[in-house]
Amino acid sequence: MVKLDFEHRQAGHCESGVTSNLLHYHKFDISEPMAFGIGAGLFFSYLPFLKMQHAPTTSFRVWPGMVFERAAKELGITAESHRFRNPKAAMDKLNEILDKGLPVGLQVGTFHLPFFPPEYRMHYNMHNMVVYGYDGDTYFISDTLMENKVEISYADLMRVRYAKGAFAPQGKMYFPTHVPREIDIRPSIIKGIRKTANNMIGIPVPIVGVKGIRYLSRAMRKWEKKLGPEKASYYLGQVLRMEEEVGTAGAGFRFIYGAFLNEAAQVLNQDWLKDISYEMGENANRWREFSYKGSRNCKKRGKPEESYDFLADLLLACADSEYKIFKKLATIRG
Amino acid sequence: MTPLFDREHGFTRKVDYQNNSNQVIIRQSWDAAAQRVEAIRQQVLAGELSPVAYYMEKHLMEVPMLAAYMELPKWRVKRHMKPSVFRRLRPELLARYAGIFEVGVDQLVSTDELNQQ
Repeated sequence: MVKLDFEHRQAGHCESGVTSNLLHYHKFDISEPMAFGIGAGLFFSYLPFLKMQHAPTTSFRVWPGMVFERAAKELGITAESHRFRNPKAAMDKLNEILDKGLPVGLQVGTFHLPFFPPEYRMHYNMHNMVVYGYDGDTYFISDTLMENKVEISYADLMRVRYAKGAFAPQGKMYFPTHVPREIDIRPSIIKGIRKTANNMIGIPVPIVGVKGIRYLSRAMRKWEKKLGPEKASYYLGQVLRMEEEVGTAGAGFRFIYGAFLNEAAQVLNQDWLKDISYEMGENANRWREFSYKGSRNCKKRGKPEESYDFLADLLLACADSEYKIFKKLATIRG
Repeated sequence: MTPLFDREHGFTRKVDYQNNSNQVIIRQSWDAAAQRVEAIRQQVLAGELSPVAYYMEKHLMEVPMLAAYMELPKWRVKRHMKPSVFRRLRPELLARYAGIFEVGVDQLVSTDELNQQ
């Protein structure tokens, strides 16, 4: 039996929360927004060809695993990450690492997670949580979405680690092995900001970053005519449902990023970042307005309460403000 | 609608994820799923599709995902949706389907449960 002294803290976004909590265990304290910012977690992409639950996929953050990997790399932390073909091997390795006294981050699918509220049990494979011990067939879990620590059986854990479908976790596990005692986070912050700015405005692909938001806005205007009111409302609902942030359409990510910029302003002693963090906060409000008004169209079938043109305009406003924000952020110097 | 951010409080406030619009869109997704399941149930009862199609939909799966769980090529899983093919399915494959759908093999092959709903 192993039960590490792991402090459970709730978080807005599972992977940055896991990253921050894992590092906290290794006596290195960075906040969840800091982990999100340094790991360059903010993103946008609209993938009309990748259907999930019969509707196009929208994503408000980078690919799973990137936040932890980038944050570890930028901060000079030694970390390991493994995937396994064989589920049994994946579980053996997990036990081995826990026996060494290291808590482990896992990528899992949420459909069979027994402690999840039933209404959230969809096939979503990009969830992250920490295992901090086991006793026979019971594993001790810290899931940033849950209020308290939880437990899961060996069989269930193996099952969620081998969930299938888009972004299948394939038993992915990751953990820091060595954290330097003194870390200067300033260069990592700057690199993280530059990376995010580049992701948002520097990639010449129409469906990612700010261009992706505009693309979605254009597509949305045609939904009602092309798909009929019912399906249009379902597609819209899907945009709002996507990612672990159900119902916020990425507003929460924008809020976390704003908090990161605010913290960065203090750490780097650059006041202009504070103004930008406020702009980002107001941008988060705009995304929330979009999701709030958009959700009215998903209430009942038939007549939409808000026109899709109106919602598309709101999206354009989000795109414009993000363009301005990242244009400025791209110029950051140490 | 409560805004997430205002300049006075900065970023100190906690984000409330459990808001009203959240409930609405979750409801929508489950309603749509229930609708799809019902449509397929009718088709299975009419003998147009096999129970595999019904249980797949009920578990919110799609062919690529089910094929991955079954460790079979997609075209074979698709073929198993045909009642004529399903009837001749090897017991070993039936058991695998039953395991994934968390039902007994008897329940999987009979349409009794589908009739009752």
